[in-house]
Amino acid sequence: MSEFQRFLAKRLAISIVLTLVAVSVIFVVLRLLPGSPFESLVTAGNLSQQQITEIRAMYGLDQPMWRQYLSYLQSILLFQFGYSILRSQPVWGVLAPRLVNTLILLVPALVTTAVLSSLLGMYVGWNRGSKLEKLSIIATTFLRSTPVFITGILFVIIFAYNLELVPAFGMRSISASPEGYVETFASLDFLHHYILPFTVSVLYYSGDFLLLARNGVVEKRGSEFLKLHRAKGLSEMQQLARAGRNSMLPILTYFALRLGMIFQGLILLEVVFGWPGIGRELVLAIQQQDYPLVQAAVFIMALAVIVANLVADVLYAYFDPTVSTSGGGAA
Amino acid sequence: MSLLDITDLTVTYSTDSGTVHAVNDVSFSIDEGVNYGLAGESGSGKSTLAEAVLGLLPSNGSVESGSIEFQGRDLTGLSERERRDVLWEDIAYIPQSAMDSLDPVMSTGAQIRQAIQTHRNVTDDKARSRVRELFEIVGLDPDRIDDYPHEFSGGMRQRVTIAMALALEPDLIIADEPTTGLDVIVQDKIIDKILEIQDRMDSSLLLITHEIGVIAETCDELSILYGGKAMEQGSVDNVLVNPTNPYTMGLKNSFPEIEEGDQDPVSIPGSPPNLSEEPSACVFKDRCPFATEECEASHPDLVDLPNRNHRSACHHVTKAAQMRRDATDPETWGIPDSHDESDRGEVLLETDGLEKYYEQSQPLLEQLRGNDPNYVRAVDGVSLRVRRSEILGIAGESGCGKSTLGETIALLKQPTGGEFVFDGEPYEHYADGNMREFRRKVQIIFQDPFDSLNPRQTVRQLVGEPLTIHDYRTDERERAIIETLEKVGLTPARKFLDQYPHQLSGGQRQRVAVAKALVLDPDFLICDEPASMLDVSLKVNLLNLLRELADTEDIGIVYISHDLASLVQVSDRLAIMYLGRVIEEGDVESIAAEPKHPYTTSLLAAAPEKDPTVDRDRVLLDGEPPNPVDLPSGCVFAPRCPKAEDECRESEPGLDTVRSGEHRAACYFPDGETPAADDLADDRSDSQYGDPEFSPPASGDSASD
Repeated sequence: MSEFQRFLAKRLAISIVLTLVAVSVIFVVLRLLPGSPFESLVTAGNLSQQQITEIRAMYGLDQPMWRQYLSYLQSILLFQFGYSILRSQPVWGVLAPRLVNTLILLVPALVTTAVLSSLLGMYVGWNRGSKLEKLSIIATTFLRSTPVFITGILFVIIFAYNLELVPAFGMRSISASPEGYVETFASLDFLHHYILPFTVSVLYYSGDFLLLARNGVVEKRGSEFLKLHRAKGLSEMQQLARAGRNSMLPILTYFALRLGMIFQGLILLEVVFGWPGIGRELVLAIQQQDYPLVQAAVFIMALAVIVANLVADVLYAYFDPTVSTSGGGAA
Repeated sequence: MSLLDITDLTVTYSTDSGTVHAVNDVSFSIDEGVNYGLAGESGSGKSTLAEAVLGLLPSNGSVESGSIEFQGRDLTGLSERERRDVLWEDIAYIPQSAMDSLDPVMSTGAQIRQAIQTHRNVTDDKARSRVRELFEIVGLDPDRIDDYPHEFSGGMRQRVTIAMALALEPDLIIADEPTTGLDVIVQDKIIDKILEIQDRMDSSLLLITHEIGVIAETCDELSILYGGKAMEQGSVDNVLVNPTNPYTMGLKNSFPEIEEGDQDPVSIPGSPPNLSEEPSACVFKDRCPFATEECEASHPDLVDLPNRNHRSACHHVTKAAQMRRDATDPETWGIPDSHDESDRGEVLLETDGLEKYYEQSQPLLEQLRGNDPNYVRAVDGVSLRVRRSEILGIAGESGCGKSTLGETIALLKQPTGGEFVFDGEPYEHYADGNMREFRRKVQIIFQDPFDSLNPRQTVRQLVGEPLTIHDYRTDERERAIIETLEKVGLTPARKFLDQYPHQLSGGQRQRVAVAKALVLDPDFLICDEPASMLDVSLKVNLLNLLRELADTEDIGIVYISHDLASLVQVSDRLAIMYLGRVIEEGDVESIAAEPKHPYTTSLLAAAPEKDPTVDRDRVLLDGEPPNPVDLPSGCVFAPRCPKAEDECRESEPGLDTVRSGEHRAACYFPDGETPAADDLADDRSDSQYGDPEFSPPASGDSASD
């Protein structure tokens, strides 16, 4: 087995263990919460004791805890998420469209901002002390530290209400009822609704990338190897490219981690823009103690973060030749 | 026509606290095919000069006046674009710190290729084969061109930068301290390589260094810089043999040499001048013992000395011969000559077969199978004795375990085997709750005076801290601090109490570090390369200080360094380490005069010589120390040893194999019985063929089975 394969196997094993732990934690925490999914129905007096027992038996909630845990493990690892208690439809049928909605908003936003802000960050880092540098730092820090719903509301007020350029709410106009993903997302109507939340999330994420890239380049700027590059006769832009390449690793890691966290959605943003995403759905499900839905949602989110971590590790090993893939031996 | 002509060059830096005049009216010229040396302490402006020639001055630096003419073109007037064309094509650069000068995420071959393809329109294939050729020239394996910098050792990385400098066969190579930070043996190899190649390529070399020894051996002409002024220049033979400038004399006298072991090197007291104003008086007058009123009035111009290639900037150049005589006497420089050997006292520290092994991490599967892990034998059975008022020098290349040994006898690391006795008590006694007492008695001084002081503490806090920790002399804290500062030569002590480390010079900082160690009146001091970051004159100051402490305070000192020349100056006894073992031990005089072990011989031979008239036989060792994990059986030095026989490869010689009095060495075929140096040099070429399989260890662990 090559060094890299061994490294990969090790990371995979760690990821699997992490997934198991995450899944178990979800299970325990939900069971620790007071009350049960049927509490509200019972207090409303709509169900008789007989009916409750039947429903509980149907969901397997009358069985001992360890048995519940085992069957839970078995099905969740096979991606059998079961049936939502409150919505009475398969969990995957509820989650899938919301997840897609969230991803289609946030993935392009994240990629755009990662590329643009990093490039800008590298440029201003190279031209340290320039007006552009100060301006960009102030602007992105402001955007980063303001809660996203404030920025969101501000944008809604300006662009939707005052300028009336874009709609303020939702993913499509109320009258539209498209079928299938292609028809939903490849339409002008969707694009119209898309621009505002997209812009806000781009701005929201921009600060981290800009600062990471800038600090990386600033740190590398005085280094000896750049001096040698300069002595070799490389042009300013070529030197900047080398400095950028050398400060890319933290950006890459951060990008992969962010990408994993995107699966949780940006709850506040989804609320402000009425975007039917996964974050909003999760909050609702927790409020109503819809066990299967929460379990499935949290499982997907945890899995995404774990996979993203794995990808970050692999990317790191690929892009940084000095990373010892043997996992910290003598160097 | 000369190749590079620098006329009245003045370079300034603008900083928050005003203008710094780094280079003031310096002129010199380099002819084609000539090696030119620039020498001086740090802050003398020598690196700034090189950066000005290359156009690499930082953005706050600017060429105020003067011209830099290269092949008749003034470089200062070039546009960014024109300058880029001159760089590397005509003037190449070998940077100072090989460790950081290569782009870590680009393969070494690609970096050289980049240099070629930036200037010439060649295909990737052609560039690649040129890189292979260059690797061969500098003595690297051409199959390693796709390796990344971290896979090479320091010396090999420096070879990569040399290969890069040669890529386009430039007319001028500027080498800025190319060997600083490398071991003597590696340094010697690199210098040898630069000379050999440069001979072949017929290019000129501008060598910048603070080691006059290196210049004496490699250059034809030189300039000595001080405070941004050229103090003396001319042919190496004239300037270094018969210096006419007090500064050159001081610099030369403070360069330690092995042969003069019995004689204290004479340092230049004081520190380099403040360059915030353009010099009106002679820049050296504050430290010069021969200064008169005339020197206050103006900085002397360079005066041509009759009938030889030699110029000196001194008002008293006519009295040079007289000054030269006086300059070797420490009293001239205001240093009291207090060198009386005190008797060595009782044995303070004794180790017997001391070991420090590191377990290597091994794959899970191996652990489950119950295989024994590999050990890195950093310290492998070292037996030492240090008496009171004795300085034991420990020498060796980097990676030989000398620093680990220092940390182990300071009990900063736990020994994994062997006996350790300090002050009559064994290791167990100290490990068993008496560590605080040990920590008070034994102090360690680290390598880097810049990092080992907390920048947010004043000198008072820094030196006083150990007192608080050990509750020692707390009632007379202030007095203890002042006494100690005076002891290490920071006078008047009160002036320094409220200063922060950044307000002190390098030498003063190292003195504070020493004071920090001495404030507890320790019995034993361990110094780990305390002078390697310091300029020669500061280095000598520190060595003299340690010597004095050993003599007057009755403390035992272990001095660890790779610089054999300064070890010979300061120590009473020497222990030479190789791969965790002591391979030779004995009195300094007898080791320096007749080394027994071939390794010691080559270490001694690698130290540069400051007298240009002396021809030194280079004894270049092949390869690098083997990986301490899978050591060869038999003598560990055998794979690199020019004299190794079958016997050496079969069984390991003990330290008592050769013995004459106190002097012991672990070798079956000790030097000294046959005429050493010539033989060794001859044998060397043979041994290259005798042992072609030997390759240096790859970095990282070797557990890739």
